[in-house]
Amino acid sequence: MTEWTNEPGLCPLRSSGPRPAGLGAQAEVEETLKRIQSHKGVIGTMVVNAEGIPIRTTLDNSTTVQYAGLLHQLTVKARSTVRDIDPQNDLTFLRIRSKKHEIMVAPDKEYLLIVIQNPCE
Amino acid sequence: MATRVQPWQLCPAGSAGAEALATGGAASPEGPGRPGPLQDETLGVASVPSQWRGVQGIRRETRSCQTASISTAEKAAQTRKHVDAQVQTEAPVPVSVPPTSLHDDPRLAAFLRRVEAMVIRELNKNWQSHAFDGFEVNWTEQQPTVTCLHTLGYPPAQGQGLHVTSVSWNTTGSVVACAYGRLDDGDWSTLKSFVCAWNLDRRGLNPRQPSAVVEVPSAVMCLAFHPTQPSHVAGGLYSGEVLVWDVSNPEDPLLWRTGLTDDTHTDPVYQVVWLPEPRHSHRFQVLSVATDGKVLLWQGLGAGQLQLTDGFALVVQQLPRNAKLKKPPRGETEVGATAVAFSSFDPRLFVLGTEGGFPLKCSLAAEEAALTRMPSSVPLRAPAQLTFSPHGGPIYSVSCSPFHRNLFLSAGTDGHIHLYSMLQAQPLASLQLSHKYLFAVRWSPVRPLVFAAASGEGDVQLFDLQKSSQKPTVSIKQTQDESPVYCLEFNCQRTQLLAAGDAEGTVKVWQLSTEFTEQGPRETEDLEQLAAEVAT
Repeated sequence: MTEWTNEPGLCPLRSSGPRPAGLGAQAEVEETLKRIQSHKGVIGTMVVNAEGIPIRTTLDNSTTVQYAGLLHQLTVKARSTVRDIDPQNDLTFLRIRSKKHEIMVAPDKEYLLIVIQNPCE
Repeated sequence: MATRVQPWQLCPAGSAGAEALATGGAASPEGPGRPGPLQDETLGVASVPSQWRGVQGIRRETRSCQTASISTAEKAAQTRKHVDAQVQTEAPVPVSVPPTSLHDDPRLAAFLRRVEAMVIRELNKNWQSHAFDGFEVNWTEQQPTVTCLHTLGYPPAQGQGLHVTSVSWNTTGSVVACAYGRLDDGDWSTLKSFVCAWNLDRRGLNPRQPSAVVEVPSAVMCLAFHPTQPSHVAGGLYSGEVLVWDVSNPEDPLLWRTGLTDDTHTDPVYQVVWLPEPRHSHRFQVLSVATDGKVLLWQGLGAGQLQLTDGFALVVQQLPRNAKLKKPPRGETEVGATAVAFSSFDPRLFVLGTEGGFPLKCSLAAEEAALTRMPSSVPLRAPAQLTFSPHGGPIYSVSCSPFHRNLFLSAGTDGHIHLYSMLQAQPLASLQLSHKYLFAVRWSPVRPLVFAAASGEGDVQLFDLQKSSQKPTVSIKQTQDESPVYCLEFNCQRTQLLAAGDAEGTVKVWQLSTEFTEQGPRETEDLEQLAAEVAT
């Protein structure tokens, strides 16, 4: 299988047909994040890897790093709490409701998706 | 010994005779040559034998005691391994997000595909949910009323009849400083005045003894603590000078001064503000505003001299003509500025309050040169971009909202507070708070709809626009004899504290009730709504 570079200008046969794997995945990631971000009331979206390092974000740097570090620790703690109570159970979703907004964390083996929404009252 | 007393003749010398009589019982000291009337005789000894002494003998017993021997044991302890550790605080490094790596994309895409549906479902449910309507949690102890925590004063200054002209909290929120001067003096005064600072965290805080006192040769009209250095404070004097002190150094507190040069203000400086430098945002310069119409930016140089780096001058001819202003008296071209407030959203935008009663919207980036004949080492520019419609008298205080980019308040001698939007010249709302002057107005740093005003009737009025837009929610009586309250400042670190200084020379630190310090859920939106609906 030929390897395509990721610069659109250099692929002359791109008019139709399946996209190469790397380019397609990136576009899909961007589209999904944009869909989530454009939802009603969403203030910010970010993806954090297993070590707590942010990979994608729509907020500014300092806020992102703060959210990523703190929520990663909290997710690890929440997951261990659930599994300690019942080892057959596992964490599927984490929601924190505060006075000003709601933080939703979708955990996974490798990544965390964090969405901050300002719900209407 | 018994003696026989025989009749005898009195001797002519009284005391000698008495002595002879007293010792007459014993053998006469004169010797046998003189036959005395008294004679000595020795009789037998009469003795009474003891009746009990022979009966009771002395009994003796021997007892002894001895402490048991002390047992001792030897033990020794020794650390077998040790590790060296050091602790060092470092200045925080600005963090940056590492660049994304392209190799993760397929796995990332797969992850997002897995969770997207669930997240969207939760977002939708949340948007429509009424589960938390009216649900509120109390984390802190509720304080129902406003109480006076401290009443601080400096007796020598109060004895001179000085007023507190300005208060300021430092960057950590634990030290409050006040400046003494007089606000009702019309002429140049040379009375000495003081800048006092109290550290509220110190044990044994004595309200009549400040932690630091600085003597100043002229009355101090305004004060501002440095935004990052907890002990540096800048002050503006009645003589037009601007000084910077270090209150932690009691020997020599003066750090920088402008001196009396051509550049210095020629009128009292009514407000000083610290601004970050344009290129080095961790260093700060001082902006001073005075009634001679100049707004000057000073930079502290090493030799203790404040150097003028930039300046603006307000000239009547250069004011924007969008609002109808009273025609100024002939010959006067300067517009005196009495108050300044910087916008929290745009660091170059500021609002000036003037003696003519109209606020001015100004920008640090203005280019036009000022038509002034005042001498200056740095070319002065005309900063005004928009003139707002005036109050009925000079403005004493302006304050920009920390939550809304366009709203600001101004308070003046007509007893009214005007709420302006930067976008239009007419005020959005006008509230009459007092029949006397209003000296200070400040937005609350935590509640978007709350502000406080200091009135000439001696009270501090707290307004909550959410509750009532006509009358104050709480009116705190600061002075008993209705002497005015001249200044007030919220404490941005400890948000329940409010300091206010009055004409009696005391600074009172008020602790606000929780309704003034805890933000409700939708206040920022309510503020925007208020701005929008009042503007139309």
